[in-house]
Parts: sequence; structure tokens; C-alpha cells
Amino acid sequence: MRDPTRSLAEPLLSLRCVTKRFGSLVALANASLDLMPGEVHCILGENGAGKSTLCNLIFGVHTPDEGAMRFHGENYRPAGPSDALTSGIAMVHQHFSLVHDMTVVDNVILGQQRGFVNTRTWAQRLDRLANDYGLALDPYAKIDDLSVGERQRVEIVKCLIRQPRLFLLDEPTAVLLPEEIAALLDVCRRVAESGCAVVLVTHKLAEIKKAADRVTVLRGGRVVARSDHPADEIDALVRAMIQGDLKSLDKSAASALGVVEAGGDQVEKSAPTPQTPRQEAVQIDGLSVIDTQGVTRLDNFTLTIGPGEIVGVAGVEGNGQSELAAALSGMAAPSRGRVFLGNIETTHLSPKDITAAGIGVVPEDRHTVGCVVEMSVAENMFLNRLKDFTSFGFLRRKELVQAARELMRRFDVRAVSAEVAFSALSGGNQQKAVLAREITLPKLLFLLAAQPTRGLDVGAVAAVYGHIRSACQSGAAVLLISSELDELIAVADRIVVLYRGRIMGTCAADPSERERIGGMMAGQAQ
Amino acid sequence: MIGAALNITTSLRGALRPSVTISVAAVVAAALVGLALIFAMNVPVVDAVAAFVDGTIGTPYAIAASINRSIAFALVGIGFVIANRANLVNVGGEGQIAVGGIAATAVALYGHVAGLPAGLSFLIPLVAAAIAGMLWASIAGVLKIKAGTNEVISTLLLSFIAVWLVYWCVQSPELLRKPMTSSATLPESLEIPDSTQLPLLTGDYSFPVHIGLPVTIVIAIVAAIVLSKTAFGLQLRAVGFNPIAASRAGISYSRMVLISLAAAGALGGLAGGFMLLGEQYVLKDGFSSGYGFDGLVAGLLARGSIVGVIAAALLFGFLRSGGINMEMVAGVPTALVMVIQGLIVVTLAGASFFIGRRT
Repeated sequence: MRDPTRSLAEPLLSLRCVTKRFGSLVALANASLDLMPGEVHCILGENGAGKSTLCNLIFGVHTPDEGAMRFHGENYRPAGPSDALTSGIAMVHQHFSLVHDMTVVDNVILGQQRGFVNTRTWAQRLDRLANDYGLALDPYAKIDDLSVGERQRVEIVKCLIRQPRLFLLDEPTAVLLPEEIAALLDVCRRVAESGCAVVLVTHKLAEIKKAADRVTVLRGGRVVARSDHPADEIDALVRAMIQGDLKSLDKSAASALGVVEAGGDQVEKSAPTPQTPRQEAVQIDGLSVIDTQGVTRLDNFTLTIGPGEIVGVAGVEGNGQSELAAALSGMAAPSRGRVFLGNIETTHLSPKDITAAGIGVVPEDRHTVGCVVEMSVAENMFLNRLKDFTSFGFLRRKELVQAARELMRRFDVRAVSAEVAFSALSGGNQQKAVLAREITLPKLLFLLAAQPTRGLDVGAVAAVYGHIRSACQSGAAVLLISSELDELIAVADRIVVLYRGRIMGTCAADPSERERIGGMMAGQAQ
Repeated sequence: MIGAALNITTSLRGALRPSVTISVAAVVAAALVGLALIFAMNVPVVDAVAAFVDGTIGTPYAIAASINRSIAFALVGIGFVIANRANLVNVGGEGQIAVGGIAATAVALYGHVAGLPAGLSFLIPLVAAAIAGMLWASIAGVLKIKAGTNEVISTLLLSFIAVWLVYWCVQSPELLRKPMTSSATLPESLEIPDSTQLPLLTGDYSFPVHIGLPVTIVIAIVAAIVLSKTAFGLQLRAVGFNPIAASRAGISYSRMVLISLAAAGALGGLAGGFMLLGEQYVLKDGFSSGYGFDGLVAGLLARGSIVGVIAAALLFGFLRSGGINMEMVAGVPTALVMVIQGLIVVTLAGASFFIGRRT
């Protein structure tokens, strides 16, 4: 697209009819793909479409069952990631692999050098690289002290210092701030300009508009669409990805994903219900959390949420959101302050009593707090209400499974059966299951949802928004904590911004406030 | 046609679950190494095997002794499996047996129970043994909840303390040592009264299996049902897999840790009670001689299955008996049996490592 002669050039890596199966599941079927030097190639697809499998095949984590890969025109069959690395293929995984107690430069050196190590020369190389690609990093900073965005930069530098010819990034933007995303896409551009092929896995369309030279769309393990001019063909790509019509897509999900511009009359919100807080409203009064090191993580958080109101908490991750959620859900005792649900104080209740009081919690960390992945879907869906299915201590398992099936149908949780392990579900279905459990609490008065759409695909995001809205329409107060500003603007009624544990300000969830909110997220007082 | 063949293979695979096949393979491999060692010691292998068989199933007495031994192993093993559901590793069986033995002796000798009717004369010492074991294990539970002390360390160290408690009890005349009539009086307790000794199933001392057998079978069935069919069993598993998620779901981590460790301890104490009231009748130093650790190995070997515990306990019970006879008759050190046991554990651990990597 930028260079018409390039299409004539030989591909750097080509996949021909590659198939990968896991048991009976075909993760990738007959996929063919050419990656050209100097291009940013986006792989687009919903969760479970085979994007990660594709990357893992190229990076040597898995070996293909059928088909061939050619790298530089030669047969390429990596036995493991180390083969891929020696061939000049590097990958940034969705989950970081950094040693937290070590410095940036030590993390970069790890696995790259044996014997004596001259940290200073490595630090200089790091600085040079950082300048070349605009990746500002302090080589001697500890990983622990870095933000998520900076940690990702370390992962990128770890790859780039090997001067790869092919650079894979698996959903790199899921954890980043808007401006960090822009910077990352810029880095991808620069890396590509140096002649490297960059593969960017994503399900966010805005990123494709900004950065992609070419796009390949996967669905159900098959290549369903390709585009050499993705910016002009976004609608067609989305249709291919979700196999449906854009119009059927939830409007706010669409705006949160960047398919359509947020705001205007496209976004329907719940009818504004700014009535004076009634009895059932949630009152959070001066909640503070001081950690074991004496650092104030959450400072005097005061907020009232009316019934049927959705309040969004915006902020860069690590500014007190996790502590706020932990304190409200009974997982950690606040140091100061009180929480009232109507006229019941819930400040120091156990998670069990908090659930009983009518507070539903969708935790930020689905896998460590939200569910027990080793247990079945049915068990997970009623883990907090086993009593309802117990007589004389014995579990009425049939009834439990039956009830779970019913809930799975209502909330469109797709699984082979209610008795498969929770870990067998895709991320979106896991989240829908957690939501189903929390929203169907006998008398839900308050729903606390922390990063509820993280890592979910378009369809699942829309479903999650739908369920959150239905909870609010049935009169529950909702606190939505999210690091996706677009999501908050699309879903919430009003937004409070957290910065270093403090509320920087409150404003209406309106696209026109975006800049002001962005400023407050960065710590500018209003 | 193909479908039927597939069905057969899958059902076969179901029957030969890797855990079962691996356990059997480990036992067979270890036995072969044992035979090789006997051969290397220049002992006629046939004699040694004959002595082994004689010691395990040669006489009714040998069978009964092996069964009684297996009972203790099984109880400790079941306790291990229960605690293991909550992802706890109870290595304190030896200590729990020891305090159980002390409590049983003390109550049988000095609890004024000998004259009680309806079996209370031996039931009360048994219950005392179970309670003692329960309290002993609960110390580790409380330490875990309050201070986060690793239960592997605390239960193991508590075992050492308990073993030396036995020593102290039988050395001190003011505790359980029998009255010193001469300087040759052995450091051991008096023999417990006849009425406090466990009744034998057959009533015949040539086949001395005591009532611990039916009790253990009932306990095994109850444990299997509780673990698989009750809400409690499910909660235990949830805590074991993911304590944070379990606690968010309103399941108390502390409660689960305490209950499961206490249950394991109670079963260990009960095993000690059975050993003392059913076989030995006299408390002396080293009266358990590693039964707690053998029970732990039975629990490990079973990979979470109660049926597996029973199988492993029987295996070890007979193995031990045979080993003792092999030493007496064929001159093969009984330590060889320990070597075989150790090999079984190492093989299993290695095998599970490879299986874990494959899947």
C-alpha cells in the first residue's frame, strides 16, 4: 500500500495450508498467510478465532499438524521458541514474563548472555534502541516500579535488542492507556520501516485503522478475509470477524471498540436517573486503604451511587482501583472509611455476608478471584450459593447442573456442557458466567464490576454491557471500574477519575469530556 | 464398526487410567529392583521370596498382622487425602499416631474406664486417641491460619515433638512408666486392662484382626462420600484449587484448613489408638516405628482416591510383614522393604512429572 513494488517482493514468512488441532478442537484450519518485510500485518479475530495459535505456531510454541511454513524461502519448522529466536523471530506475549525484583537492563540481559555480564554496555545499547524507536525507559529502574505500559516497553525492548526480522505482538494493547496505545502503534510503524515484518494481533478496529498495512481476519480457525487497504474496508472486516451485521452490534460496544465514533445519537444510555439517593443507594464514605508498607493506596474515596445509576471509575491501572474493589467486595479491610448499602453498613462484612447483603462482584482478575478454573462451570456458577442445592449436607448435583444450564442459556454462556471444567470456556464465556452468577443474586442492590470486558471479543463485550444495563434497569446501583475510557463513556452515567488513589474529579460520561478526563487520569487537577 | 472399536478403546482407556497404570507400574518396577538387590546380596532369591510370602500370607496370624498394620496406614492415608483436597500436605501422621497412643494408654490405664459396660471401656480410650490426634494437628492448622506457617514444616516438627513425648511419658514414673520395682524395670507403661483391649473379630488369637477393620471400612466409605457428594467436599476442593476465589464465594479458608487438618489428625490419632489398644497393649518408646510416614506414602500413592488409599495401605501392610519375616528367616535386612517403598514414591513422583508435562 505504501510501496507498490513490495507486493512483488518475496515474502519473509509464508504459511501454506497450516492446520493445528488440540484434541478434537481445530484451532487453525488450512490457514495460508504471507508476511512481507516492512509491513505491519494485523491479525484480526474474536477470542478463540485462532489468532494466538497462529502466533504460537510461528514462534515454535506449537508445531503444525499439517501444512508448511517457509521463512526466507527455506523450510521452517521450529522445534521450540529458541529455534524461532535464533531464526530472528521474536514475540511479545499477552502475559508479561519479567522478573519483578530485577532492573530493566537485567531483565533484558536474562537469557541473552552467558558468562560475565557488562551491565553498562547493555544499558547503553538499551538507551540507543530506546532512542531509535521512541521507547523511553530507565535501564536501572526496577520492574516493580514501572507501570503496565512501561513493562510492556521492556518486553518490546527485550525482543528488539535481538534485531528480529519478524516481530509478533499478541494483543499488546489490551492493558494500555489511550496515549500508550498510540505510542505503541508508532513503535510498530518504526520497527516495520526498518525492514522487519510486524504482526499485530488485535480485536480493536481503531488500531487497524491507524497502523495496519494489511489485515488478515480469522474466524473459527479459518482465514475468512484479507485486505490490502484495511482503513477503507473496516466494515467488511468487522462483518467477516463477527459474521454478522454491524447494525446488530450493540451500539455502545461498537463505540467502545472504535467501530463508530463514540457519542452522538448512536449511543443509547440507560435513561438518566439522577434522582436523589433513596434508601437503597450505595454510600461510600471516606474509604481509605493503606498497604502494609504504609503507602496510601486509596485516599478518602467518597461517592454516592443512586439506584439504577452506573458510575464509572476511570484511571490508569494501579491508581487505587484494585484496592477500591477489594475493599468494597470484602477481600481486604479498608483502613478508614465506611460503606453503606441503604442503611446497612457493609464496611467490615465478610465476602459471604457481602454477597448475602446483595452486592454482586465481578472481580478484575477473573482467574484468581472470579472462579475456580479447575472446577466445573456448574459448580462455579453456584459456588457462593451451594446452600440452595444442599440437603443434609449432600449436594443435589442434578438440580445444580439443571439450574446452571438454565443460567447458561439465559446468559448465553457457551460450553460443551455445564459439567466441563471452567478453564475449557473461552474468556468471554467465563466472564458471562461470572456475571450470570453475580447478577442473579437473590436481591441484587449493588453491582461492582471491575474491568469486566478485559480481553473479551466484540460479541462478548456487547453481552456484558447488556447484562450490566439490565442490572441497572432493575434498580441496582452499578460501579464500573475500567481502564478503557471509551467503555466508560459509552456505558456509565457519570465518571469519577482516580489518580494516585484520590478522586481527581467527577464529570458526565460524555464524549466531549474525553480530554478533560484524560487530563485528570494523568494527574492534572481541574 | 469403527465406532464400536473406538468405544472399546475409550472404555479401556477409562479403566486403565494413567494414574492406576502408573501406580501399578511403579510397584512392579520397585519390586523388580528389590529382587535384583536380594540377588546382589548373594541371598538365594527363592528362599527370600518364600520367606516373604510366608510372612505375608503364610499363616492366619501373618495375614491378621498385615491387616492390622494396613488399618493404621489406611487411616493416616485417608486423613492425608482429606487434607490434600484443601491443598494441604499433612506429613504429621507419625506424631498424630504418637499422641493418640499416649492418650489411649493414659485413659485405658488411669481413666477408670476398665469397668464400664457396653464396650465403653475401649471406646472411650479410642475417642480420646482421636481427640488427641485432632488437637495435635489443629496446632498446625492454627499456625497456618494465624501466621501462615507452612503445614509441611509444622506437622513434621510436631511429629518429632510427639515422638519424644512418648519417650518422656514412658521414661517418667510420674507419667506413664510402670512402677519401678527394680533397676531392670523396662521404660514402658503397664499393660492396659483386658477390658480396654479391642475385641478381635474372630475372638481367636491365632487370627488377631481387631474391630478396627470394620471401623476403618466405614470411615473410608464415609470419607469417600463426604469428599464426592457433599457441599463440604466441594468447598474443600474449591479452597484447595483457589483459596482466593473460594473466599470471594463466601467459603471460609480458615474453617476449611482447620477442619481438614483436624480430621486428618483425628484419623491419625485413631490409628495410634488402634495400634495400642488392638495390638501392642503396652506403650513403649518407638511404638509407631514409622507407621505415620508409611500412611503418608499410601496417601500420596493413592493420588486423591480413597479406594487407592486402601489398596496402597494393604500393599504396604503386607510388604512390611513380609519384610520382617524375610529378615528373620532369610537374613535379608527389612530395610530392603523401605528401599522398595522409597523407590515406589520416587518412581511415582517422576512419572507424574512427565505426565504433567505431556498434558
